[in-house]
Amino acid sequence: MRYDPADLAALEPAQFASATRRALPRRKLSRGVTLLLYGLRLYVLIAVPLVVYAFVHALGGL
Amino acid sequence: MLDRPDASFATREDYLRARERTRVLLARGKRRWLRLVLLLVGPGVLVMLGENDGPSMVSYATTGATYGIGFFAPFIILTFMMAFVVQEMTVRLGAATHRGHAELIFQRYGPFWGYFAMADLAFGNVLTLVTEFIAIQAGGLYFGVAPWISVSAGIAVVIASLSLRRYVTWERALMVLALGNLLFVPAALLSHPDGAALVHALATWGPLPETLGAGFVTLILANVGATVTPWMLFFQQSAVVDKGLTRADLTQGRIDTAVGAVLAAIAAIATLVAASSLYAAHVDVSQFADGANFATALRPYIGETGATLFALGIIESGLLAAMTISTSSSYALSEVFNVGHSLNLDFSNGKLFFGAAIGTSVAAGGIVLIPGAPLLAMTLAVNVIATLLMAPALVFLLLLANDREIMGDLVNGRLANLAGGAIVIGISAIGALYGVITVFPGLIGK
Repeated sequence: MRYDPADLAALEPAQFASATRRALPRRKLSRGVTLLLYGLRLYVLIAVPLVVYAFVHALGGL
Repeated sequence: MLDRPDASFATREDYLRARERTRVLLARGKRRWLRLVLLLVGPGVLVMLGENDGPSMVSYATTGATYGIGFFAPFIILTFMMAFVVQEMTVRLGAATHRGHAELIFQRYGPFWGYFAMADLAFGNVLTLVTEFIAIQAGGLYFGVAPWISVSAGIAVVIASLSLRRYVTWERALMVLALGNLLFVPAALLSHPDGAALVHALATWGPLPETLGAGFVTLILANVGATVTPWMLFFQQSAVVDKGLTRADLTQGRIDTAVGAVLAAIAAIATLVAASSLYAAHVDVSQFADGANFATALRPYIGETGATLFALGIIESGLLAAMTISTSSSYALSEVFNVGHSLNLDFSNGKLFFGAAIGTSVAAGGIVLIPGAPLLAMTLAVNVIATLLMAPALVFLLLLANDREIMGDLVNGRLANLAGGAIVIGISAIGALYGVITVFPGLIGK
């Protein structure tokens, strides 16, 4: 396949694959957001086993 | 401000994306708005119709057959409005940062939270992918095709789509397939629906079911899980980046997402309407295993043609979702490991990207073929799990969409935050209610 370098002008500099490989700087999470994320993690860790329980329970009923 | 890389650093991925961008810029320059929209639609339509997948259509059918259209027709519209609000943020994120969802979470919030987000995605995607192959197998069974043949054919189609090695070709091929989701519309029309009852339901959210017990809550949760799930966030943002959308294309990106939401809502309500024939006839669907059971049960009410369309729709829903969900896993995994993540890659530069999609598809198809696998329970549980995993995924989405450093002037406004926050609270509350009635099943009855 032949490529035309002139086409590259249509891309913004940040769209090149080489540009997207450079990592963005880290952002510090506030205490409130960190607590919210831990809370939601707890929520998932409690809720998913409940679904698994319901799943296994349903299997027993089949 | 980034400098423009030298042409010698440009890759095949860059050239293919640039070629499509040239067409977009030409259309915009000539003010050919319709062509511009046609060039830029894709990620939104695919994500919305992709989410009308196997378990989603079974959920809509179960809902229609259990409760009729009363409450759920307007509820489905509400859930797709929620989906639009959420997915529009991914379009802005992709256009503003030119980075996928997974890499943004890792880079901005670090690997600790990044791996949690990835674990949720991987867990949900693997389970959902299995149910897509259940749908393909079930649809095949309706036509008398052996499971190993239909599942193998499904895997072959996924691999064939990846072999296209050009994002735009892949996208257009999938969009043609996605139109098959509308097969549920003629199936619904063949059930001779009561138009007045549908209008009444949409206007009044009624009639409400006589009992609002555990089954009702589970179907509410399943219907939410049928429209908003974590893979959609990862897929659409990465697809927007792969397609090359920029800030200038936001209007078309929003149109794309809105068109997808409207088409998907039409197909979902059509499935509800078609299956409501079973509700009217008092058919017990509690032991139905899959979409094929619905197609067979609907035959006396929507005829052989209607049932055939329904079964074909089930196959399409599984096949399209298998391709979009496996691709969302590929994007996310490759972004995390900072390796090539584009459908424009060739195989030698995209081993992990293509390998992840092919590997997960083969594994999911293999699970479906295990004799005695609990396919029914899995199908019903998947949407529930997807909904439960959505709350933390939405919080990351809101954090990123409010990150002014990366979003600039595309940062979330107050309205978007209010809507997003309400969705997080609503989804968490329904999930918590589900948890309570699972632990205390006698609390609100069946």
